[in-house]
Amino acid sequence: MSSPATGRVGGGLLDPGQLVRSLPDALKKLNPATLWRNPVMLIVEVGAVFTTVLAVLDPSFFAWAIVVWLWLTVVFANLAEAVAEGRGKAQAATLRAAKRDTTARRLKSPTATAEEDVVPAPELRPGDYVIVEAGEVIPGDGDVVEGIASVDESAITGESAPVIRESGGDRSAVTGGTKVLSDRIIVRITQKPGESFIDRMIALVEGANRQKTPNEIALNILLAALTIIFLIATVTMQPLAIYSKLVNPGVPDSPALNADGVTGVVLVSLLVCLIPTTIGALLSAIGIAGMDRLVQRNVLAMSGRAVEAAGDVSTLLLDKTGTITLGNREAAAFVPVDGVAEQQLAEAAQLASLADATPEGRSIVVYAKQAYGLRERQPGELAHAEWVPFTAQTRMSGVNLDGRQVRKGAATAVMKWVRDAGGHPTDEVGHLVDGISASGGTPLVVAEQGRVLGVIHLKDVVKAGMRERFDEMRRMGIRTVMITGDNPLTAKAIADEAGVDDFLAEATPEDKLALIRKEQEGGRLVAMTGDGTNDAPALAQSDVGVAMNTGTSAAKEAGNMVDLDSNPTKLIEIVEIGKQLLITRGALTTFSIANDIAKYFAIIPAMFAAVYPGLDALNVMRLTSPQSAILSAVIFNAVVIVALIPLALRGVRYRPSSASKLLSRNLYLYGLGGIIVPFIGIKLIDLLVQFLPGIG
Amino acid sequence: MSATAAGMLFIASLVLAMVLVHRPFGDYMYRVHTSVRHNVAERVVYRLLGVRADVEQSWGVYARSLLAFSVLSILVVYGIQRLQDKLPLSLGRPPVTDHVAWNTAISFVTNTNWQAYSGESTMGHLTQMAALAVQNFVSAAVGMAVAIALVRGFARRRSGTLGNFWVDLVRSSVRILLPIAFVGALVLVAGGLIQNFSGVHEITTLTGGTQSITGGPVASQEAIKELGTNGGGFYNANSAHPFENATAWTNWLEIFLILVIPFALPRTFGRMVGQVRQGYAIVAVMGIIALASVLLTNAFELGGDATVPRAVGAAAEGKEVRFGVPDSATFAAATTLTSTGATGSAHDSYTPFGGLMTMFNMMLGEVAPGGVGSGLYGMLILAVITVFVAGLMVGRTPEYLGKKIGPREIKLASSYFLVTPALVLTGTAFAMGSAEQRASMLNGGAHGLSEVLYAFTSASNNNGSAFAGLTVNTPWYDVATGLCMVFGRFLPIILVLALAGSLAAQSPVPEGAGTLPTYRPQFVGMVIGVTIILVALTFLPALALGPIAEGLS
Amino acid sequence: MDAMPGWVRQHLAALRAVVVLTVLLGLIYPLVVTGIAQVLFHGRANGSMVEGGHGSALIGQLFTGADGRPVRKYFQSRPSAAGHGYDPTASGASNLGPEDVVDVLPVPGARDEKGNPDKGRQSLLTRVCARSKAIGELEGVSGARPYCTPDGVGAVLKVFPDRAVSVNQGCPAVPFVAVYQGVRVVCARPGADYAAGRTVPVRGGAGAPAVPADAVTASGSGLDPHISVAYADLQAPRVARERGLALDRVRALIDEHTTGRALGFMGEPAVNVLELNLALDRS
Repeated sequence: MSSPATGRVGGGLLDPGQLVRSLPDALKKLNPATLWRNPVMLIVEVGAVFTTVLAVLDPSFFAWAIVVWLWLTVVFANLAEAVAEGRGKAQAATLRAAKRDTTARRLKSPTATAEEDVVPAPELRPGDYVIVEAGEVIPGDGDVVEGIASVDESAITGESAPVIRESGGDRSAVTGGTKVLSDRIIVRITQKPGESFIDRMIALVEGANRQKTPNEIALNILLAALTIIFLIATVTMQPLAIYSKLVNPGVPDSPALNADGVTGVVLVSLLVCLIPTTIGALLSAIGIAGMDRLVQRNVLAMSGRAVEAAGDVSTLLLDKTGTITLGNREAAAFVPVDGVAEQQLAEAAQLASLADATPEGRSIVVYAKQAYGLRERQPGELAHAEWVPFTAQTRMSGVNLDGRQVRKGAATAVMKWVRDAGGHPTDEVGHLVDGISASGGTPLVVAEQGRVLGVIHLKDVVKAGMRERFDEMRRMGIRTVMITGDNPLTAKAIADEAGVDDFLAEATPEDKLALIRKEQEGGRLVAMTGDGTNDAPALAQSDVGVAMNTGTSAAKEAGNMVDLDSNPTKLIEIVEIGKQLLITRGALTTFSIANDIAKYFAIIPAMFAAVYPGLDALNVMRLTSPQSAILSAVIFNAVVIVALIPLALRGVRYRPSSASKLLSRNLYLYGLGGIIVPFIGIKLIDLLVQFLPGIG
Repeated sequence: MSATAAGMLFIASLVLAMVLVHRPFGDYMYRVHTSVRHNVAERVVYRLLGVRADVEQSWGVYARSLLAFSVLSILVVYGIQRLQDKLPLSLGRPPVTDHVAWNTAISFVTNTNWQAYSGESTMGHLTQMAALAVQNFVSAAVGMAVAIALVRGFARRRSGTLGNFWVDLVRSSVRILLPIAFVGALVLVAGGLIQNFSGVHEITTLTGGTQSITGGPVASQEAIKELGTNGGGFYNANSAHPFENATAWTNWLEIFLILVIPFALPRTFGRMVGQVRQGYAIVAVMGIIALASVLLTNAFELGGDATVPRAVGAAAEGKEVRFGVPDSATFAAATTLTSTGATGSAHDSYTPFGGLMTMFNMMLGEVAPGGVGSGLYGMLILAVITVFVAGLMVGRTPEYLGKKIGPREIKLASSYFLVTPALVLTGTAFAMGSAEQRASMLNGGAHGLSEVLYAFTSASNNNGSAFAGLTVNTPWYDVATGLCMVFGRFLPIILVLALAGSLAAQSPVPEGAGTLPTYRPQFVGMVIGVTIILVALTFLPALALGPIAEGLS
Repeated sequence: MDAMPGWVRQHLAALRAVVVLTVLLGLIYPLVVTGIAQVLFHGRANGSMVEGGHGSALIGQLFTGADGRPVRKYFQSRPSAAGHGYDPTASGASNLGPEDVVDVLPVPGARDEKGNPDKGRQSLLTRVCARSKAIGELEGVSGARPYCTPDGVGAVLKVFPDRAVSVNQGCPAVPFVAVYQGVRVVCARPGADYAAGRTVPVRGGAGAPAVPADAVTASGSGLDPHISVAYADLQAPRVARERGLALDRVRALIDEHTTGRALGFMGEPAVNVLELNLALDRS
């Protein structure tokens, strides 16, 4: 997994061996039944067959050289796809290993004592109950309905540390193929046979039944239209060529042009060079590689459409806790009331918190130690102490020690305790409490024997680097909205500190859903993460819903992606991968079309300079001969596909920035580059092929 | 002042005039097409038509109304030509032959005004004014209606309708075209254009010879011929004829009329979509291409780089003394950059590269600035295609003016830009493949090929000008160019309306930092690049064997 | 109305629309324009006819005699491609291309299918050269031009490996150049097919021609009423001589009938030939 701080999506490098290994697959894909899905390459193949026939009937070195390179063009295109698929296959093999044929102990009813029978895992149906004990493999996807267990999920997440799965709550989902390490759980199966998580993952990474995404379909239409135009331009050129030859009877026949017009081999060469073969060859590889990049980051997308939508997201809903802030609030200051020393307050706060096992309580003890040098004491150390643990009802904790009664807790609860003890909290306390609340902190009041000592300032701690991250998002045109259960004041303070654009405070699942609907109403695409069952409606409503793998089955079903690492920050990376996917397609399309200019400058003079010598002025590359010009263009056209396979798999470099800047950069690189590179490439190839017999 | 300097001033003055009228006239057309009130005259017209002016139409109904109107227009124009001998003001001329009448009816209804006939010897006055000139108005109004419907598609949100065709047709005709044509016609008469109903009268020349001079309602037709980017001349020589274009300043005025609506409509577009800067971007694309083309055409003609112009000392063949070489070149560029096709000089005799420019202008798809309405919708289609490629390059599903460019939109836009090249190239190939059709060429070699290529380029792009050496009043050419005109006009219109329908139904995506800004110079440059590269790639082989081969010999 | 199916109503509306708009735009509009134009600009609306009814000031004429030769006391118009010259019923241009340089020589004795003698086909270049030569002779200046032979045809070679043919010079004419790049140049035999040769126009040594450009080219309309000031100046001495007028007087009349550039930059200065000739006749 790449580090989020770089803000850049990296990618695997292409292993040259992989090209060789994918070759058999590439050859298999020559089957027209497979190739018809890719009309551009199908035309190249038809052209290759046609020129092969011509070369057999009228053999020449030039004709055969063209034939070979036309076939290579198709093979290279297939190779690109095969390499992309090949990487997925390697992953699929690992996954399959996890999906060993297991047997299941099926229960008649969801109790451990129920009668059980042993069935093969593939026979399990949704609603079946199975019991899994330590050392056994969970036979299918489902929810834990009874028990708690530690589970080794390394088979799917690659993470070796075991995770806890328990009934009820948001950690109830288990995945087939993972292994129970301790204890015993009863699982209700939720998957249909053959549609388990691992099955879907295998299908995804192998690129099997990959659905084309809307943008891919649209691009395919554009490429088809361009192909038709060039087909028409090439075919209709023939009567014009025949005429031109006819009115210049003094010109001898050439390998490119005779009385029957441009020769078939050259005509096909021109067509193949003009139609957008580069992007046509790489388009499906780009799509597969995009999915693959997600999988490498342990994200499973249920559809390519979701990945594409991720690039379009304009609103990101992020849960505060765990995504924007570290999990919990921490003590940040002790604010004593008048007449109380800070040290005294710190000591009381520490005492009152020793029995508070919540993270907030722990942070008070830690802070007292760090800031005031108070040694941490274990509850057992103070023998006479009577501990008052924190409960949700009392909302305070404390200790009765040697006649001292110390409490700390929510302001209202502690004040009431003070008043009940006959104390009179001053207004000053109220001011302190309000001040901390207003700044987004959480105030906890510390009191002793009917007297308020001061207030503990608890603060949410925003994760490092989040502000930069959100600034980046803003530059990309993405609005970030923080979702929190906190009150609006607290929420605003954290929102300001983290640099999000907006926040939704005191959010209920209904609020979340309403917010998504509102954003979508305005035409925005919304992405969010969620794990709980109550997130499911919002996950389903959002355009990109990333469910945490630790979450419930309901959440995972509702979302269209699952993050196996359960890392909510990853949403940002998903967006970047989505964008990179689209950019790669656009860039290579531009490159492909821009290439045509140079090819015309190579082929048109090669075809017609014989009849109209003036057209040799278009031979700006000064290519050696008509044959070498045409062959060089065809070779360049084929070689550029292979040269761009790594780029297609890796995706073009993406740095979050404004649309305008991105466009400029990509235009210069792939537009201008696309115009210039083939001039150089074709010239270099010409310098080599001129030495071939019958070419120079 | 040198001819070159005067020519540059001529161009500069036209640019200045366009800049000055762009805003007020564009705003006027915006008000016409967004006003909810019908004036008295219009209410009378709607009652006569039996249409409910306030009922909005879906794209399908809009298209069917448009097609019904156009089909009936073709029938009526055909009928009047065939019956002209029985109608008044026929000047005793016989009915127009069937294939010429068919070709001419299509030609005028499609805003092409390709002329397979010679005006002064074929058409009676009534045919000219009641059949042909009427179509000069309404075919332009149809183009404008389609453009406005497309703009509504961009401007509306979640709407099932695009407006009412009859209202758009009538308003474009009555509120925009008619008043300007009326004033323009009178100014042109002041410049020397004739406006009468006299027939042919014979005069004795100074040296005792005879000349038959044909009168007619010329100025009224000339004004709308240019304003509606139609181009069908009253006389065979078209705007080179002194009765159609009497002086150097009527020449300026006619070019102004040709350009004024196409260059102002982007303002209307900007107003209607609520972002004038989007209109400025579109007009910038049109203006830059047009200016470059005008300057290049001037440069090639002034350079006179071909054997005959070098022998002559100037590219003077086919050009009038009163206009001179540069202003003739400017007219030629303006008439081909728009779908006008009126000619102030003989394009066939232009230098190879000057002639190439006129052809290339049309091959752009008549978008810079193009015909009335058709220029705007053509340019918006190119913008959609550009947005698609550029949009992908910024990592988002492409969107233009908040509307997503998805598979359906791309399907319609790609089909649009497939139509004309397919017609041009197929037509040219069929003609060039047949010795019989090649016999229509006046010139030989590469230039003969240019004549045929020009004919099909002109017909398919609804321009109407010609390398007039080609003999086209044969049944084969009448049918072939007729088919090119009718498909070249109505297939794109149907696709545009379908696209408009699909866009109107969308709810717009709000603009953000991640949205591709479509109003910056960057985008303007990109649309220009896409337009020129697509055209160059499509037509380079054909051009190489025609004007380029001729020019590089 | 409402009982009719929608598509019928639509067609009915379409038909009514065609009729209503035809009446409005095809009848009322031109009639009103004509009415106003006839009142405000009577002369212009009716064709700017010149005094004496000798034609329109806007439509050029031939100033040739019955034999087709220039009437020497008149300024001559440009060449015209309208019919047999300045025929307003057949306005138009030559439409010949800029590289139209090779003639089809008439084959002596050959006839076309109608029995007329074969006239061949003159290329645009040869037309230009011939006109230049003729005008040069008429005005007493050199008619020489680049790419023209001294005998007034296009100087064009068809080059073969072993010889070159001066393709517009029918035998027994002497080729304008004896040797081209080491190969012998021969005259052209009418009817011979030289298509296989490479076409090479030869510029020759002629300097700036004395005969102006508009004098040797046809206009776009074939009815151009104007000539350039240069062409008028070229003709002035002849006309003055023929009429026994002072050259200055003729030059003054030329000035009088020269329309300068509109607003100083539109178009080119042009001399109206008919009005100039009428003025000469009057003076």
